[in-house]
Amino acid sequence: MMTEDFDRILDECIDRINRGDNAADCLSDYPAYSERLRPLLQSMHDVQKTYTFTPSADTKRAARQKFYATLGKQRRVTPVLSLFRAIPRSAAWATIAVLVLAIVGILMIQPILNPPMLVPSPDGNFAFLISDEPNDIGDFESLNVTISGVGLQAAGSVKRFEFTPETKTVDLTRLQGEQSQEIWRGNAPAGQYSQVYIYVSEVTGKLESTGQIVDVKLPSSKLHISMPFEVTVDTVTRFTFDITVVATGNNGKYILKPQIGDSGTRQEQKPLE
Amino acid sequence: MNIGNRKDIPTINEYESRLADLYEEYYDKVARYVYVHIGNKEEAEDIAGEVFLKALKSLNSYREQGVPMQGWLFRIAHNLTVDYLRKMDKRRTLPTDSVVLVGNDNPVDTAQKNIEFERVTEAMKQLTTEQREVINLRFFGGLTSKEAGGILGKSDGAVREMQRAAIEKLRGIMGVEK
Repeated sequence: MMTEDFDRILDECIDRINRGDNAADCLSDYPAYSERLRPLLQSMHDVQKTYTFTPSADTKRAARQKFYATLGKQRRVTPVLSLFRAIPRSAAWATIAVLVLAIVGILMIQPILNPPMLVPSPDGNFAFLISDEPNDIGDFESLNVTISGVGLQAAGSVKRFEFTPETKTVDLTRLQGEQSQEIWRGNAPAGQYSQVYIYVSEVTGKLESTGQIVDVKLPSSKLHISMPFEVTVDTVTRFTFDITVVATGNNGKYILKPQIGDSGTRQEQKPLE
Repeated sequence: MNIGNRKDIPTINEYESRLADLYEEYYDKVARYVYVHIGNKEEAEDIAGEVFLKALKSLNSYREQGVPMQGWLFRIAHNLTVDYLRKMDKRRTLPTDSVVLVGNDNPVDTAQKNIEFERVTEAMKQLTTEQREVINLRFFGGLTSKEAGGILGKSDGAVREMQRAAIEKLRGIMGVEK
């Protein structure tokens, strides 16, 4: 029984880490098991770190284009095929002759009956950008934030769409005010979203005044914004996530925070495929 | 086979849309899953692209019985990986010690990464084939134990047990850095 419990807890921790949570959070939730859990989660971390890599943006883009081109071709022929599928088996043979004539007719007037379908663009319907609201960023010569993943939480659902940025490390000192950097572009499922998560794996800040590397805290290794927005198939939604760094008093420590007031979406029309 | 005729079965267009939705989330995961098996990043990326194309072309044969679409993708990935290894005449399931990581880091970092890669790879080789597959699906595919069980024909309880045994074995071989 104890082993089953432990298996379940280990499993839950692995699920949570896969979703971007900290191993430390899971350990603190199960103090009675933490001594046994810790080395196992460390081994998981070692294995993941060894094999994890980010596929090249160019290769992924080319593969995406091929996928959507095939999808587009497949969708253009599907309406004709679906006519066959809609016919009850018992009546199929009796109507074949009629269908042949109908298909010939359909093919002749296909441009009218079969207008271009709304297929997501290979270039994507969603772009994700990072920007920095200047607070104490002036203290830094560089402030590199490494983002391991981004999650978009669907509104009224447990579904979360996650992607790995093509550009993983951004220097916030270069993204102040109106400046922003696109770190990912692709296709996100159309729909309403309510929250955005950024999973941060590393923060390295170098002070302008002394060149010293300082500790920049990020509670729970993620940044989170609650904000409703919509993603559609036929427009490009550009979401800018604004991050700010603030000093936590006069102790030389800093904290990273999301800046909701300067975050949000902008939509651009894009040509239909 | 009549996908889309009954109300309770999604239409082929719905399946296509679902697959397109999974593309962004699972392309990287599929690439990593394949990489663990073949030890070549570029080839793993190519195979990941092929997985989605093959899935798209095979949607007519897809049945959502116990295995969700993302699980089905990893089945296809597994089959394509096996085909690749056969073609390359590499009768192994993991990268070997001939794999050398090359990066832009300095030589010391690269050497350390190579040592770490060998350490982990050697440990992974000591697992049974099923244990390795569980680790790969859970750690790199991001599947739940239930989803992994659907692919492996095991209960989620059995997957959890295999997972714990596998990680304990890895820990025993690799040791743990404090």
